[in-house]
Amino acid sequence: MESPAGPGARSSLTGPQPHETGLDSLQFGEDIQHLISVPPENASSFTALLELPPNQAVELLHSPDSSLRSRNVIEAHQQKPYLEPHFNAANLMFPTNSGLIERAARFSVFAGENLNNITNNSPETSSVPSNSSANLEKVVKSEPAEPESFLNPLQPLVSDPTTVENGAQNQRPVKRKEREKKGKGSTKKSKSSANEKSEDGEKLPYVHVRARRGQATDSHSLAERARREKINARMKLLQELVPGCNKISGTAMVLDEIINHVQSLQRQVEFLSMRLAAVNPAIDFNFDSILAAESGSLMDSNFHSMAMPLMWPEVQVNGNRQNYEQQWQFDALNQLVWGREDDSYNFITPENSLLSYDSSANSASLRSNHLKMEL
Amino acid sequence: MRAPQSIKQEFLKKWILGLQLCDFAKQNMSMLERKKAIKLSADIAIASTRNGMTCWSRALVAKASRDYGDKVLVERMLASESEKLKKVSSIGLIAPNKWVIIRSKKILRKSRRARRVRSSVPQSVLAKSIAKKMVKKRTQVLKSLVPGGEFMDDISLIEETLDYIISLRAQVDVMQTLAKATDLLNERAKVQAQVGHLALAAESTASPTARLISDPSEAFFKQTRESPQVTRHQGHRSSS
Repeated sequence: MESPAGPGARSSLTGPQPHETGLDSLQFGEDIQHLISVPPENASSFTALLELPPNQAVELLHSPDSSLRSRNVIEAHQQKPYLEPHFNAANLMFPTNSGLIERAARFSVFAGENLNNITNNSPETSSVPSNSSANLEKVVKSEPAEPESFLNPLQPLVSDPTTVENGAQNQRPVKRKEREKKGKGSTKKSKSSANEKSEDGEKLPYVHVRARRGQATDSHSLAERARREKINARMKLLQELVPGCNKISGTAMVLDEIINHVQSLQRQVEFLSMRLAAVNPAIDFNFDSILAAESGSLMDSNFHSMAMPLMWPEVQVNGNRQNYEQQWQFDALNQLVWGREDDSYNFITPENSLLSYDSSANSASLRSNHLKMEL
Repeated sequence: MRAPQSIKQEFLKKWILGLQLCDFAKQNMSMLERKKAIKLSADIAIASTRNGMTCWSRALVAKASRDYGDKVLVERMLASESEKLKKVSSIGLIAPNKWVIIRSKKILRKSRRARRVRSSVPQSVLAKSIAKKMVKKRTQVLKSLVPGGEFMDDISLIEETLDYIISLRAQVDVMQTLAKATDLLNERAKVQAQVGHLALAAESTASPTARLISDPSEAFFKQTRESPQVTRHQGHRSSS
């Protein structure tokens, strides 16, 4: 019988680890934790539904084939909602939380896809699972590359060796999609025709999975939807960054604004470098003298304050007009930087901090006072 | 999110180092060459603040290293950097098979365009396809703008654009500040030169206080402070 064998095999898989608490983590938002809070129930019915022998599931889980793996992960997720995403890890978790399992069970696509794959009786649909898994993998592989901690629906599929945080942060792609789907209204029109019981019902009539109303149950569209959501999340960030994009609706217009912004910034860099090139080469000498005097403490943000005292003695010694100009240029640069409080540009502030000049610690403070008065 | 202040500071430090490494003392430096050197050092500096984490920074370094003349500067600038950037500057960015993929995609796209099939689809689907085409066109343009964008998929393209915009803004801010500062310095230098002339002229005729100023660097300010006195003196003299 399947049912008794199921829990037995599952418990063997769980091993000594407690369920639901020792979950490996990936970076997911706290809203995922809502899913975790479903009370655990008896999950044995699910394998009965799937009629998949657990040992076969285990074997599939540990199979080296990567395309199979993702599907197996999803399938194992159906058996056990919490599954550690690392494929090579031996500590697979199989907590008994059938509330989530049943939610997962509603995704006929996964059930159908896995079953199709496993039972090998649907050559025409096999392309779809492979596509979707490829999509999932592709999508999922781009996850670790991102620098920001976005909400990643498909991250569990990546073998992500991140730190083990609290167990509630582990995620499954299926659950995430479930939650996202629930977030959307049920009035979403689906591309494919399948609404209720999927077409998998024809091949495997005992799969009682239900799709959400008005939504496609095709794994293709699920993956696409996940991808689209990711893209939309990032586009929102971009919209906030680029000024004037908040009111615009529509990806194409927003992209227009972004393109304009990037182009204008690049052009500004060109013009500014031209402008700096037009300046007489004195500025370079100044840097040279600063850095020569400084010699190595450039890491200090107040490097200029240290350089200035060293330069002041040169003023008395040297009667050269050119030299004076250089000294004054530096002095005035400092002056400009911390004298210009009325300047509304906020770009002045990094210069303030970087070139801050501690006049009290300097013997030439008198002169700086003159400068201040002058300004 | 990284603090913009820290980006700007890091960029300024690295840029100054780069400008130093640039040999500005060469005689044949036309303005265009100077501009190129400045721009190159700014680009490498802003790319190195990213430390090789982002694709655009690596692509920027790779592009700069392609030309041999600039490669020397790039390598010198990145001498203290992480291994990733050094590797990028020596090896280059993309494996040849990626170029093959991109080229084949372009061919596919052209063939699709050539196949002008009048598809009789319902209105809603037509609108969607038009919108998709617009978005596709714009993502193409964005890919051409962001360095190394050709090799990214949509999702990472948007992330890279995000990072790129932030870094570009920091770069522009710092360069703007420097440009304004140098303009002001030049202005002051000019004014000081003029006043210096005045000081020299005034010294011969002016009050003893002006003569006490031994070095012309103080003359500027002493003069401006005491010019009312001087004129008063002169006024007195003329009146008396």
